[in-house]
Amino acid sequence: MMHFSGVGTTSRAALGVRCAHMAGRFTIAGFILMGAVASQASASAFDRNVEHYRTQIAEDIGQALAGARRLRDCIAADDLEGAKKAWISARGGWERSEVFTSGLVPELDEEIDAWPKSTTGFHAIEAKLFGAQQTGVQSETDALIADLAELDAKLRDMPLPPQALLNGLARLAYEVGESKSDGGESRLSGTSLDDMRNNLLGISQAYHALFSDALAASDPALAATTQADIETLKALLDAPRLAAIDSSHLRKASEAFVITLASMAAKINLQKPVLEDLGK
Amino acid sequence: MILPHRLPFPSGWGARAAAASSLLLGLTLAISNPRAFPVYGDQTVLPAGTELNEDALDRPREIFNSVSRGGVKSYLVNLGDLAFSSPSILGGAARRAGISCNSCHVNGASNPQLYVPGLSTRHGNFDTTSALFNPKADDGVLNPFRTPSLRGASLLAPYGHDGRIASLREFVRNVIVDEFAGPEPSPAILDALVVYIDDIGFLPNPSLGPGGRLVAARSSDAERRGEALFAKPFPHNPELSCSGCHTPSAAFVDHRQHDVGSGGLFKTPTLLNADFNAPYFHDGRFDSYYQVVAHFNAVFDIGLSVEDQRDLVAYLTAVGDGERPYERDGVITNVKEASDFASVLDIAISSRDKEVIALAVETVSGELRETVESFPERKDASVSGGGQERSLARLALKELVLTLRRIDLAAGADRFDDAAAEYKNFRYLMVSAVPTLLTNAEPWSLFNPKVHDAHYAALKQTLQTAKRALP
Repeated sequence: MMHFSGVGTTSRAALGVRCAHMAGRFTIAGFILMGAVASQASASAFDRNVEHYRTQIAEDIGQALAGARRLRDCIAADDLEGAKKAWISARGGWERSEVFTSGLVPELDEEIDAWPKSTTGFHAIEAKLFGAQQTGVQSETDALIADLAELDAKLRDMPLPPQALLNGLARLAYEVGESKSDGGESRLSGTSLDDMRNNLLGISQAYHALFSDALAASDPALAATTQADIETLKALLDAPRLAAIDSSHLRKASEAFVITLASMAAKINLQKPVLEDLGK
Repeated sequence: MILPHRLPFPSGWGARAAAASSLLLGLTLAISNPRAFPVYGDQTVLPAGTELNEDALDRPREIFNSVSRGGVKSYLVNLGDLAFSSPSILGGAARRAGISCNSCHVNGASNPQLYVPGLSTRHGNFDTTSALFNPKADDGVLNPFRTPSLRGASLLAPYGHDGRIASLREFVRNVIVDEFAGPEPSPAILDALVVYIDDIGFLPNPSLGPGGRLVAARSSDAERRGEALFAKPFPHNPELSCSGCHTPSAAFVDHRQHDVGSGGLFKTPTLLNADFNAPYFHDGRFDSYYQVVAHFNAVFDIGLSVEDQRDLVAYLTAVGDGERPYERDGVITNVKEASDFASVLDIAISSRDKEVIALAVETVSGELRETVESFPERKDASVSGGGQERSLARLALKELVLTLRRIDLAAGADRFDDAAAEYKNFRYLMVSAVPTLLTNAEPWSLFNPKVHDAHYAALKQTLQTAKRALP
């Protein structure tokens, strides 16, 4: 049995149209993506959960924004250590919200979390604060505050489709398993391990707010597996430092979790998560 | 200068042509060491400043004896190659840093760019008895050795720079367990590693005929004069000559250790394909054949004139050449390697060999995850265009990773029929959708030198902002 089987012709056709211009052959991209296209159906069942989740990420974005504003105050006072703490706090809120940001606000994500070309955003500020030990990040910080404020405002009434959130959740789950032996995403501030833990907190938060009750109702055993997968990842990230992480177990656990999420999707009337942003 | 990998000579152009022009200009055949992009930051497994040269776009070309004979790589060769590329057969820092045998012996050759601060005294050498990789083996001295090429290894016993170990199998076990703190390898994996290493052939060198003699029609006067000097007894030690130890008819080795004034007894290294094996001597102290020849001339008081030395270098360069020494890394190379590695699953699944299934999944999915990073994310502003193509390539690779993980999970739960079905699916993807999607995205990938350079220029810019100069 091939795991890509069992998808409706509608989504396959839709995908074919989307990919035909660059893949040349409908079937190729379609094959990769079978079963992976967002369903229009049954979103309503999630409405209440989505609003609950919205308040949670509003808090996370709020923490990021508050941290960025504190960062601005600290650099105005030339307080390098305070600025670093404020950056770390802002970063934590941001990393918890990545389930939502990477897929639903890609333009802002590109500004806020730019890498490796980081002339704006967290990593541009990180390089100066933590690398050069300088507080000369006024314009970058103002831009970060503006972007986060825009995100904060947008979040209030933008649609949060469950499928897009599941996609974001699975993408982040896959990313947690990436090797960080090179120092990870925030290598200059040394907070890559915190990034990963905050990603996992964001994942756990999204799962519990959005999907866990529906899954528990339809397949309690799979709900238990999902919870166990999250706990396994949490234990693997409970390392004293980034370099001490058992990266091969972490990778295995992250991939097993993404597979569990794909099984979950079928049980709660969603489609298999798509692990890349394929554009609008 | 940012660190695009530059080969000493354009790929496909033999070192010999370059050496000829060097001779013309009176330059040495020094292999310049362009810098690989280093590891940086405070949270890395390997010391900041480590250069593994994994960002190189050109890779040593690998020749398999089995294929040269008109056959195919056997299951054992593929399994050994897979294990050779697997960090999981090592332990400690090597495993955590994701390095494997192949990190230093790239495609079975060497890695002249390799540099580990504190463990290397120059690019291309490395101390294998240090606390970083195995505290149990730490001997308290900095004694780095160059990474030897494994081309022709089946003909080059005994093993180790000092030839202390007669058996390749025992030597490989020593590297895994004692040098890199790995768990005791299973006999099956060790056997496969030996079969693989024995299958790594020399690059063909049409300049050499039977007995390791120069082919007259293909050699220059200088090379032929060098060949004569090579065989000529040393004036003060008539029992010695270059060819006395570097036996031309026997892969230019004598399988013995000698004291050639470099601080002890060391094994005679082969000269075949040696144009690509710099730095030279056990510790990599010499960059060029000129330095090597000058050393012998001084130590054994041979009395070689400047012209004699040039002739010898011309001869060594002719002997050390090889056809198409490098090949460009790209989508097709990556897909082929992943397919070859994964091919062991065919037998491993049907014979319910969980150890090999786990090793294959771990290694191939790890490499595929790295290949994902060769296609920059849509939001990566160092690349413009091809966003959709890049996303589809990344998606295809991630689906392969998950397919492999399903194989592992199924086999782990004794569901071997499911594992076989997933493997069939994997193979189908690898011959159809995946090569197409990856090839479509290749122009916007790090396999394109322009995109590659822009990516590393952006990283370097971040480092400069951070005032962390490259070491």
